[in-house]
Amino acid sequence: MSEQKPAGRPVPKPNVYVDTAPFWNGVKAGKLVLQYCPETKQFQHYPRPVSIYTGRKNVEWREVSGKGTIYACTVIRIPGPGLEGRLPLCVATVDLDEGVRFIGNVLNCAAEDLKIGARVKLAWDKLNDEHNYPAFELA
Amino acid sequence: MKSRDIVIAGYAETKIDFKTGRSAYDLAGEALSQLLASTRIDKREIDGLSVTVALSEAGNPFFAVYMTDALGLVPGWLNLGGMGGCSATGGVARAVAAIRQGQCKAALVMSADAPSSDWRASYGAYRAEFQDPVGLQGPPAMFGLLMSRYMHQHELKLEALGKIAVTQREHALLNDNAYAKFKKPLKLEDYLAARMIADPLRLLDSVMFCDGANAVLVTTAENAKRLGIRKTITPVAYAEVTNFNGDEACPDITRTGFSQIGPQIFKQWGRTPQDIRMFHPYDDFTIAVLMQMEDLGFCRRGEGSKFILETDLSYKGTLPLNTGGGQISAGQPGLASGGLNLVEAVRQMFGEAGARQVSDPRNALVTGIGVIPYGRNWSTSSAMILEA
Repeated sequence: MSEQKPAGRPVPKPNVYVDTAPFWNGVKAGKLVLQYCPETKQFQHYPRPVSIYTGRKNVEWREVSGKGTIYACTVIRIPGPGLEGRLPLCVATVDLDEGVRFIGNVLNCAAEDLKIGARVKLAWDKLNDEHNYPAFELA
Repeated sequence: MKSRDIVIAGYAETKIDFKTGRSAYDLAGEALSQLLASTRIDKREIDGLSVTVALSEAGNPFFAVYMTDALGLVPGWLNLGGMGGCSATGGVARAVAAIRQGQCKAALVMSADAPSSDWRASYGAYRAEFQDPVGLQGPPAMFGLLMSRYMHQHELKLEALGKIAVTQREHALLNDNAYAKFKKPLKLEDYLAARMIADPLRLLDSVMFCDGANAVLVTTAENAKRLGIRKTITPVAYAEVTNFNGDEACPDITRTGFSQIGPQIFKQWGRTPQDIRMFHPYDDFTIAVLMQMEDLGFCRRGEGSKFILETDLSYKGTLPLNTGGGQISAGQPGLASGGLNLVEAVRQMFGEAGARQVSDPRNALVTGIGVIPYGRNWSTSSAMILEA
């Protein structure tokens, strides 16, 4: 056993390609906040520079419930960057109840319990002592 | 592809190998040299160049220009193909359009990449914030998600995917250019026993990055005749789509871009999938081959497993599949892989496939796939029909 404290996982840098501050401020407040197109009344994720439905910059940010259904899932079993100590890793494409798709890890879930159609709720994955990342757990 | 006046008049391909230590330029030089030798044309006849973006040179925004410099070409038309596995067939289609517009007379469509020796790609964009933290670094996990959904909606028989892997391996055994370490026979039991890498995707469903280059020459039938080139084949139908379903929040990920472009190419051709003599699909994963068979109309959606198990896909069969072994068994030369199956189709139609020669290679369907986006099926699909 090493006496060193685990360094934790890299914290993503916000605002690299579009303004994602509302998402990250939401994370800090324990909320899942996603982009919303008020003209077509639809969410979109990941965040884009425009509404993917209209092509216009008219996009807002709104909180979603974080409740949804597993649409697709996989268990990553091969090592890779950022995967140290995380294998086997449960990943799910989740269709949120608000009609938008979010890919996240399913925490505290045995590989055999990860199933399409399962209901999930929002959970928080600790990147380190200060930073969380949105994830799911079975509801 | 309204008329038949523009042809593919030559091809070249290097051996596929792992960690060669060579650059995309060096591999491209070998392909060019081979092509000049087989067509017996002077390099000054080449006045157009399409280059596929290489993972190993992805940091260079002037890659295509550097390539002209490395090869000593002085083109009047230059194209940089940034659609991954669609760049080779897409490059041929763009060369046809450029020749028709009088921008050049003879275009080389060059794909060379060496990602197993040097990886310089950085995708940037949203990935660091929304994809990497979840652990989705590479295509296997993305295809694991895709395959899981297919299995939920349709019957998927592992024996069918195994048959793709086994058949293509048998073809690779007959291909001198295939990666040497893959030249071992494969049994269905080996496929089924392969370890899971991203459930339900197995190791033998996947490709391995290698190095290699391939090229085809596109020109008018008239110019080919003037140059003394006797063997030519004709692209008779082409369609592509990028960012398929890209303006939907929750699209069906089992539906591919081929469901859109399949009907387009068969309408252009005026014939049906049942008239296709051989199929050379982009094969980064076995499930991608099955999904293309369904969406291109060889069988109905959900019946891919049954179709594969009932069809002789060997080079001697009714629908020969990736007769050079494809990327799965010959090795994937990075983004040059879109040209791998194209070159094999041309080779077959020139009657130069040796021990794996398909009888009556009168036509071929070649496809490309590029980029796995967030939460959807693959982004870009391309399909081209070639006639002898």
